[in-house]
Amino acid sequence: MTDRVFAVVGLFSSAQALMDAIPKVRARKLGTVEAYTPYPIHGIEDALGLRRSPLGGMVMVAGVLGAATALFFQWWMSAVDYPIVVGGKALFSWQAFVPIMFELTVLFATFTAGLGMLLLLNRLPFFSHPVLASKAIAGITRDKFALAIEADGGALDVDAASAALRAAGAADLEVLPVAVAQPPALNELSRSVMGIAISCLVAGYVMYWLIKLFPVLPPMVHMQEQPRLDVYKASELFKDGHGMQLPVAGTVARGYLPYLIESPEQAAALVNPLPRTSEVLQKGRTVWNNRCGVCHGALGNGVPTLTAAYGAKPANLQAQTFREYPDGKIYHVIMVGKNAMPSYAADLTDDERWAVVHYLRVLQRAQNAKDEDLK
Amino acid sequence: MSRSPLVSANVFAGMAALGAVGVVASYLAVPPERFWANWLVWFLFVLTIGVGCLFIVALGHLVAARWSIPIRRAPERVSGLVLLALPMGLIALLSLPVLYPWTRPEALLKPAIAGKAPWLNVPFFSIRVLICFALWLFAYNLFTRGSVRQDQTKDPAFSVRARGFAPAFMIIFAFSITLVAFDWISSLEPEWYSDIFGVYLFAGTFLSGLASSALAVLYLKDRGRLPDVRNDHLYSLGGFMFAFTVFWSYIGFAQYMLMWYGNMPEEIFWYKQRIEGPWLNVILLLAAIHFFVPFFALVPKDRKNDPRNLRWVAMLMLTAHFLDLYWLVLPVVGASPPLSWPELSFALCFVGLAVLWVRRSMAMGADMPIGDPLLHEGLEFRA
Repeated sequence: MTDRVFAVVGLFSSAQALMDAIPKVRARKLGTVEAYTPYPIHGIEDALGLRRSPLGGMVMVAGVLGAATALFFQWWMSAVDYPIVVGGKALFSWQAFVPIMFELTVLFATFTAGLGMLLLLNRLPFFSHPVLASKAIAGITRDKFALAIEADGGALDVDAASAALRAAGAADLEVLPVAVAQPPALNELSRSVMGIAISCLVAGYVMYWLIKLFPVLPPMVHMQEQPRLDVYKASELFKDGHGMQLPVAGTVARGYLPYLIESPEQAAALVNPLPRTSEVLQKGRTVWNNRCGVCHGALGNGVPTLTAAYGAKPANLQAQTFREYPDGKIYHVIMVGKNAMPSYAADLTDDERWAVVHYLRVLQRAQNAKDEDLK
Repeated sequence: MSRSPLVSANVFAGMAALGAVGVVASYLAVPPERFWANWLVWFLFVLTIGVGCLFIVALGHLVAARWSIPIRRAPERVSGLVLLALPMGLIALLSLPVLYPWTRPEALLKPAIAGKAPWLNVPFFSIRVLICFALWLFAYNLFTRGSVRQDQTKDPAFSVRARGFAPAFMIIFAFSITLVAFDWISSLEPEWYSDIFGVYLFAGTFLSGLASSALAVLYLKDRGRLPDVRNDHLYSLGGFMFAFTVFWSYIGFAQYMLMWYGNMPEEIFWYKQRIEGPWLNVILLLAAIHFFVPFFALVPKDRKNDPRNLRWVAMLMLTAHFLDLYWLVLPVVGASPPLSWPELSFALCFVGLAVLWVRRSMAMGADMPIGDPLLHEGLEFRA
């Protein structure tokens, strides 16, 4: 195996001795000169002539890419694919996108920095570096400073390298063979992954049964157990212990206004707010046929479609009295009822009530047409 | 190193004198609002550089930073600008009836201003200004004068005392810089609210302190007076400048985004008059020279300690901080940024005066705090 040499390593007893030796060894140009030290030494990267790490540039590109991705994606989502106006802002509101752009910049940049450093530049997973298998490693991790001449590509002249290191003051020279344990390394990786996966499964299984069999270990139910309101349930959030509360006094339901008029005389002053359009009359006709006509008759003449068993005598609205009734009085009867007729306040909306008043006028006019109506 | 005659002290004296003539002329010629707004901006510019340097000195003592000891004399000397700011501030009190709406009786008809009347009134305002100055001058005396005295006495007791006072100064600084922001700037439009405004001014203050300290260090290094200050020290200074240019943008944008989102009339009017019309150009320029240019100029590692790079970035940052104050204050005067001979006179006068002032202070004490017992540790610092 001596023809497959990775490096020749020599040990120095101080950082200064190592730093002094580096230029001497490098000047011989026998191979790549690398240092292994127990702690970082300032200025050693210059002494070794290391090129600047490309990581900074990679992080910059990734960061800009992150910002551009966030900007493009948000523009596409909120201005192109699913445009919804939010808060009266423009569809493309860059101000709202900046926080996400910032986050993605940081995310892309840190992932590139971390993973790029570990996987690309340090070539992890990397299970067996020759130096880790050397005798020198015990000293390197404690109080010795190692300098190695490593074979770059071609073969290394072991004798010349040893001589160069010795001349520079190194002791305990050691020739390191190239590590050959590559295939087992992969097995080791798959074994670790399998091991972690099995541990997770076992831990989850054990936890599941522990929680099930021993209720001492509560599952995480904080969200269910928080104080909240349930309909038709008691609640501690209100003084009276009820989960459902009455509306505030004086609350008015949507579409319903309080009706304050008490007598037909007061109501006579009301004016029908709806115009006499065909739409309104159509609406009034529907209401009439569904509600009023059942008793008052399809023509309003008091001939009901009900059976005689009903007994009551609905008013004939074609009578002179009702033809001279003001709109407001008819409206009032719909609101509060009259004799056997109940209130229709809850069954009809305001518009429907006024529409049916218009329609009743049409019925009355049709039954009592004048000559000029024919023109 | 030889210096071109362009930057000799006489030039700055000439600038200051010429500018002073222009300042007096503009007092007579232009509307008083414009004169006093310019005065206010320059007062705040000089003040925030000085107070920012005090903060840097205190920060070094507080966290017992080793790296900043060899360059600490630079912010210690520049913090003397607080002395120059004192007369400027006292004169600026004359601007209260001109610039500040809350000094006028009719303003009290507005409930938002009337509610602030116990705080915003001329006597209390003046008292706050005087208290702030007293505290800053006390800190200047303790930190700078004490440090210079230590050059002779080599007494480590000063270091202990400075470290003891530094936490208290942090509280003083937080309150006083917030007062500067709320009283001198924010109350120009007394109906406006922004809780974060003090932090915003702090960001600019710290950044301008860092930039002026960097310039002072480079000035001394150019003359061979700081041979032991290495690139490692400059690197730390550059890193700080980089970090706080981001911080300023973060705070500035945070304030803007919340107000833009809320779109409440009592908040958004402040931005409306600062980002609409010609002022839009100013804020775009500000975004460029306060954030984008320094950010990318300081990103690479070897740019943070390159003296040539650091010098122009520091000058750009000071310019940006001035433009920031200009953008904060001048919109109350007019719908378009005033830029003519009065503004140039102010610039000549106070740049000349401030540079002369700082240069004179460069003779104060040794160039490094040679009495500090931890100086050798600072000199061994490696980034």
